[in-house]
Amino acid sequence: MAKIELQNIAHSYNPQSAEQIYALNPFNMTWEDGGRYAILGPSGCGKTTMLNIMSGIVQPSEGNLLFDGVDVTKLSTSERNIAQVFQFPVIYGTMSVEQNLAFPLVCRNYEKPAIDAKVNEVAEALGLQELLTKSASRLTADQKQLISLGRGLVRDDVAAVLMDEPLTVIDPDLKFRLRRQLKEINQKYRSTLIYVTHDQNEAMTFAENVIVMDAGRIVQVGTPKELFERPKTTFVGYFIGAPAMNFFRCERDGDYSLRFGGNTITTQTRLTELSASQLKLGIRSEYIKIVDTIGQNTIPARVKRVEDLGNHKLVSAVSNDLDIKVKVHRDTAIPAEQVHLDLPAENCCVYADEILVQN
Amino acid sequence: MRVLYTSLKYLAVVLWSTFVIAPFLWAVSTSFKDFQSVTNGATYIPWVDFEPNLEGWRALWKSPAQGGVDIVEPFFNSVFVTASGSLISIVLGTLAAYALSRFTFKAGFIRNGDITFFFISQRIMPPVVLAIPFFIMLGKFSLLDTLAGLIIVYIVLLMPIAVWIMVDFFNKVPVEIDETALIDGCNPLQAFYKVVLPNSIPGIIVAGMFCMIFGWTDFFFSFILTFTEVQLLPVAIVALNSSITPWWSLSAAALVSVAPLVLVAFIVERYLSKGNLSGALK
Amino acid sequence: MSLIASNLSFKPGNEWHLDNVCFEMSKGQIYTILGRTLAGKTTLLKTLAGLISPDQGTLTLDDRDFGSIPVWKREVAMVYQQFINYPHLSVYENVAFPLKQRRMQSDQIKARVMKALQQVGLDGFENRKIQALSGGQQQRVALARSLVKEASVILLDEPLVNLDYKLREQLREEFRNIFSSEASKDSILIYSSTDPVEAMQLGGQILVMDEGRILQQGTSKEVYENPNCTKVAQITNDPAMNLFEGRVEAGRIILSSEIELELPQHCKRLATGSYIFGMRAAGITLNQTGFPFSVELSEISGSETFLHIRHEMIGVVGLLDSVQNFNTGEVVRVQFDTMQLYVFDQNEQLVSSPYCGLE
Repeated sequence: MAKIELQNIAHSYNPQSAEQIYALNPFNMTWEDGGRYAILGPSGCGKTTMLNIMSGIVQPSEGNLLFDGVDVTKLSTSERNIAQVFQFPVIYGTMSVEQNLAFPLVCRNYEKPAIDAKVNEVAEALGLQELLTKSASRLTADQKQLISLGRGLVRDDVAAVLMDEPLTVIDPDLKFRLRRQLKEINQKYRSTLIYVTHDQNEAMTFAENVIVMDAGRIVQVGTPKELFERPKTTFVGYFIGAPAMNFFRCERDGDYSLRFGGNTITTQTRLTELSASQLKLGIRSEYIKIVDTIGQNTIPARVKRVEDLGNHKLVSAVSNDLDIKVKVHRDTAIPAEQVHLDLPAENCCVYADEILVQN
Repeated sequence: MRVLYTSLKYLAVVLWSTFVIAPFLWAVSTSFKDFQSVTNGATYIPWVDFEPNLEGWRALWKSPAQGGVDIVEPFFNSVFVTASGSLISIVLGTLAAYALSRFTFKAGFIRNGDITFFFISQRIMPPVVLAIPFFIMLGKFSLLDTLAGLIIVYIVLLMPIAVWIMVDFFNKVPVEIDETALIDGCNPLQAFYKVVLPNSIPGIIVAGMFCMIFGWTDFFFSFILTFTEVQLLPVAIVALNSSITPWWSLSAAALVSVAPLVLVAFIVERYLSKGNLSGALK
Repeated sequence: MSLIASNLSFKPGNEWHLDNVCFEMSKGQIYTILGRTLAGKTTLLKTLAGLISPDQGTLTLDDRDFGSIPVWKREVAMVYQQFINYPHLSVYENVAFPLKQRRMQSDQIKARVMKALQQVGLDGFENRKIQALSGGQQQRVALARSLVKEASVILLDEPLVNLDYKLREQLREEFRNIFSSEASKDSILIYSSTDPVEAMQLGGQILVMDEGRILQQGTSKEVYENPNCTKVAQITNDPAMNLFEGRVEAGRIILSSEIELELPQHCKRLATGSYIFGMRAAGITLNQTGFPFSVELSEISGSETFLHIRHEMIGVVGLLDSVQNFNTGEVVRVQFDTMQLYVFDQNEQLVSSPYCGLE
């Protein structure tokens, strides 16, 4: 296992010319040994490029890649000792599960007893012991995906496990089983796991740290909690969370207050020295409360529609032409059409020119 | 280490290219020689080793009476037979392949895969095995030594290639495209020619190219099934190899026979490299 | 106007793809077929489209025999999960294709194509090549082609499953707006999905499907509140409803030697015996006086934490309303909210639910 450092890495389509078009803008990043990371972003944001640079499928046009301090930028994929899991399981259908797992070791001329020991250990960790003698082609999609992963893990010199949307083909109710096994593997082997996905739920539930990317840039690195509560840009607020964060255009109205649509809201952000052209207030629909009396931080609203999401209800409300989404528990009673929405000051984020104001 | 590896790699490429190109260059050079330059030991470079002339080329359209070899008629015979044989093979082969790709056939133990194999099996047999039955059958219908007879034989030989390539191609076209066409109001035949066919042009071009190459270069069947009335180019060229071989004309004729293939390969390569093959369907 | 299916069965090999499927659907409504992969959803949609001829059963639309009309004369439209368009045609020609096939006049075609493209937000893209579009745009073209025909039955086979998470959310919202608008007043809309939240969000009726059978049909509220069997309870919840076996004895529910629950009001009538109990993740929370469970996995998703916990044979997933970190193996105290308890008999049929629809 290794610590992976990306130093001034960038990838451009036209490295020779003066005006470069970057698929991935220059950045620095360190992946700690044994960490569990997710790279999250929409299609074409550069997340797969970043993964491919680490695996060696893509040569970055600038910068250096270090595994435990050793420069591996110029090495090929096979020389880097990384394990990869792709969207679709890669298995050798003609072999048994055991032969599949043993294959990387057989190719490297390991001794038979050493192979058996390692294969059994990995099979146990992945919960595949009972399937060892079965033909790999007869397994379910999640079991096949575990085998793809297992083939990466049998090698004891693996620097990192890189996964590109590994749960795409897995049924929703089996996904968690695979996620759990990934986490157990991570705890047992202390292997660095890097997981690329466009699905915020997967990223948040899987990773200790999530790297949010957009248009070839890293926008925010943080724990799921930080990303949810204090998104650094409006993009992160939009991309993470279902529904997206509510945003309202507003104006400054005192040191801590904002005014929008005829309402004044107090925040915990000091706004005194702010000189931005555009201010926005951001608040998660989960934090907004429906109340029936006017309070410190309430705004009047009209309930437009209530959607039943099972455990939750999603209330679409309108306040002075502003659309607001509020997510409440299923058993919450929604009062008559006219309501007041309470926006707790500690949950209000202020964005100056789309960037979170922090102080 | 890396430098050594790279140089070895390039050396291998250079060696192989020389091996492939040398005979070709040799033929080009020979086609401009005369009797003297061919028989007086090996000569290589025009104007230095020998004085080039166009006699070998001129002889191609002079009749034997004028001391020429006249390959004009065999050339057009070849063009006609290959083109018609390929065209009919592609039309029939594409239809057959589509059926094999989209519908399930059952006859006893026979399934689609077996039928496809049956087509290809025509090409597994050594040509000699087919030659005698062909000879007898064409003889029965008085088609020996005729262009029509040759075309029929070529269809038998070329259609398996077309079927084989097109089955593979159609299998890669998502069946949902046909289904969408049906849902959009096409009957099965319309779905085929309005939607599937326009998206299969790259496959048809590849299949057509293979048919033309195999048809054009066939010597064995045209040699056995024709005598005096009809002569195809490969047979005509080989016939030049008589007691006193006119090596210059032979070389020139050989180059003429290769030219259409080079032209086809060039055009198709340009077309394919534009990404038309891979880009049409994901 | 209604579409009636009776006894549709299809068994191409050893497995039932459709097993005695019966339903009635009426105009202007959305129906979601919810089921896992390979549940028979696609087979059912293809049967409705006429692409598959069932071994048995009949289909009628407005008392006409619908099942005997060949595909190309049936008034149906279908959108696949793969992005299926005609690659050799432009966006405009793609959408115009079904109308040209009907020999409609070109000015009429133009008006309808432009309207459909506008509905899906693709005006200005008429002359683009299909390959030059993003996945989301390609799926919009397919949708426009299905709208332009004004077909009486519109089939959508997991149309969003291959799109990015956030795009899926956005398109789902747009879909619902398009289909609740005037345009589809005369159509029956059938949508298939594996995602219970998606099914809930689309509103309308849900048909829960498994192994070729329709297990339950009802409004999303009905299916959520009273799943008629354990399979439905699992399929319609994400995470799947927790199921655990136990006994009812002397007014108490005995789950293990240490876990006993009070019989809640809605289960008072249960006779002594063995049952399967069901509870959603939201009904399982932490409480100091609760039962000891050990943590197998904790997953943070924004504002919530999913806790996978186990006590002897009982493995369940709980949902906490806050973000908390737990170590694997840690012992937590857990409380079951018996007011949210479902009870199924040994044949996995619902006998008691908090919403008491069935008695």
